[in-house]
Amino acid sequence: MKKLFNDPATMVDDMIDGFVIACPHVRRGALDPRIVVRQRNRKDPDELVTLLIGNGSGHEPIAMGFVGQGVLDANVVGDVFAAPSADLILDGIREVNGAAGTILLISRHSGDVINGRAATMLAEEEGMKVVPLLMYDDISAAPPERRADRRGAPGTMFIYKILGAAAEAGWPLERLTRLGEDVRERTVTLAAAVSPGISPLTGQPMFSLPDDEIYLGMGVHGEPGMGRVKTGPVRNLVEEMIRRLLDDRPIAAGGQAAVIVNGMGGTTIMELLTVWAETVKSLAACNVRAVAPMIGSFVTTQETGGFSISLFEPDDEMLRLWCAPSDTPAFPKIELSDECPA
Amino acid sequence: MQELNALDAAVGDGDHGSTLVRGLARAATAADGKRAKAFMRASGGASGTLFGLVLHEIERHLDDGDDLAKGLERACARICDLGEVRPGDKSLVDALAPAAGALADGKSFAEAVSAAEAGRDETRDMRAKCGRAQHVEGGGVGHLDPGAVSLVLILGTLARESVS
Repeated sequence: MKKLFNDPATMVDDMIDGFVIACPHVRRGALDPRIVVRQRNRKDPDELVTLLIGNGSGHEPIAMGFVGQGVLDANVVGDVFAAPSADLILDGIREVNGAAGTILLISRHSGDVINGRAATMLAEEEGMKVVPLLMYDDISAAPPERRADRRGAPGTMFIYKILGAAAEAGWPLERLTRLGEDVRERTVTLAAAVSPGISPLTGQPMFSLPDDEIYLGMGVHGEPGMGRVKTGPVRNLVEEMIRRLLDDRPIAAGGQAAVIVNGMGGTTIMELLTVWAETVKSLAACNVRAVAPMIGSFVTTQETGGFSISLFEPDDEMLRLWCAPSDTPAFPKIELSDECPA
Repeated sequence: MQELNALDAAVGDGDHGSTLVRGLARAATAADGKRAKAFMRASGGASGTLFGLVLHEIERHLDDGDDLAKGLERACARICDLGEVRPGDKSLVDALAPAAGALADGKSFAEAVSAAEAGRDETRDMRAKCGRAQHVEGGGVGHLDPGAVSLVLILGTLARESVS
C-alpha cells in the first residue's frame, strides 16, 4: 500500500512540524518537541485548571487538533498507535501545571493507563497537583455492570470539550473532576467498521473483512467487539446500533441526547450525514430528541472505513458547556440543532 | 541480553533483554537525575515504565542518598498498583517484594539480593496471572519469569557497585 511519508523513523515529527507551522493556536513544548502546547490566549495556570492528554499518533486530528482555547492546554504525542512514555507525559504536565492544578485525561487503553498513572505519581512526587481522569465509553468492550473496564472511544470528546469549557470558566479542580466523571457515566459509544485502515508502520491492512460484512463494535485500533453483520441499507444498521446504545444506557421518553457521529478516516461526509439523519429518526422513534451534533472524522485510524455513534444525555449546564465557543485547529462549532424533530 | 530474550521467548514475545538493554544504554548516557526517565523513554511500553519506577528509586538513592528500603517499597507498591499485579502472580514483584521486605527488616543489601534470588527461583513453579505469560499454554510453569530474573541482575549489580 502506498503511503506518503519520508521515513517511518521521522513520520510523527514530520507531521507535528507541519501542524505547528500551520496553526497559530499552538507551539511545540519547551521541554520536548513531542509536546504540543496552547499558544494563543494561554491560561494563567495558577488561576485556571489546565487540561492535557497523551495518546498514540495515527488518529489525527485528535488530540493535538483540540489544543486551544476552550478545550485542551497540551497534547503529548506518542509514536504511531503507541502510548507516550511516562516521562514524556510528565514533561507535558510540567509544561502546563500551575497552582490551580491539572487534569490528565486518559483514554482507557492499557499503555495509556499505566504510563499516564505513572506520570501522575512522578508529578505528585515533584509537588504538582494533578488528577488523572480515566475516560471510557465503548459498550462493545464490556457489559454495563463492568463499565469501568470499557475502552476509550470517540464519546470521550464530550469530556474534552465540556471540561475544557468549564475550566476556562474558572471551575476548580475537584468540581471539574466530578463533572468529568458525571459526563463519562452519561456517555455510550458503538462503532461499525466496513474496511481496514493500513498501518503506516507495516503497510498492511489492520484487519480483514469480507465485502458483504460490517464489523460491529470495533475499537479504534481494530480491537474485536460484538461480531459481524451483513451489509444493507444503513438505516437498518443505525437502528440496530441505537437500540443497543439505548439498551445499555436508557434515556427516558421525552429526553434528549447530544450525538457524535465520528468517521474513522475512510468514510465520506455524505455517508456520515446519512448516518446522522438516520440517528435522528431512530432516536425519535424512541421518543428521544437528538441535539447538538458533532459530525465528521475526528478520531481516525488512518483510512479505516466506518463510523461510531456516541450518545450523551446532558443536563442543561453540560449542554451549554458542550455548545460553548472554542478556538482550536480542529474542534468544530457545536450548534444546538433545535430544528430536530422531537 | 540473549539469555533474557530466550527466557522471555518461552513465556512472552522474546524481547525483554533487548528492551532493557536499549533503555539502559540510553540511561547510561543521560544526565544525572534523568537516567531513570531516559530509560522509560527509550525502552517504551509498560515494562519500560514499571522497571523505570525501580530505577527511579535507585537513582534517588545513588544521587540524593534517599533511603533505598523505602524507595524499593514505594516502587513495589506502585508496580502492584499500576500493573494490577500481586506477589505470586509470576512477575518482577516476586523478586522485588522480598528484597524490599528484607531491607525494611534491617537486613544487609547482600541479604536482600539473596531474598530476591529466592523469590526469582520460586517463579519457576508459578502459573502466571498477569502479562502475556498468562495466555501461554500452562501459564509459563517450568520457566523463570524474565522480569524477576532481570530485577535480580539489577539489584546484584547495585550490590557489587556499592561495595567496590
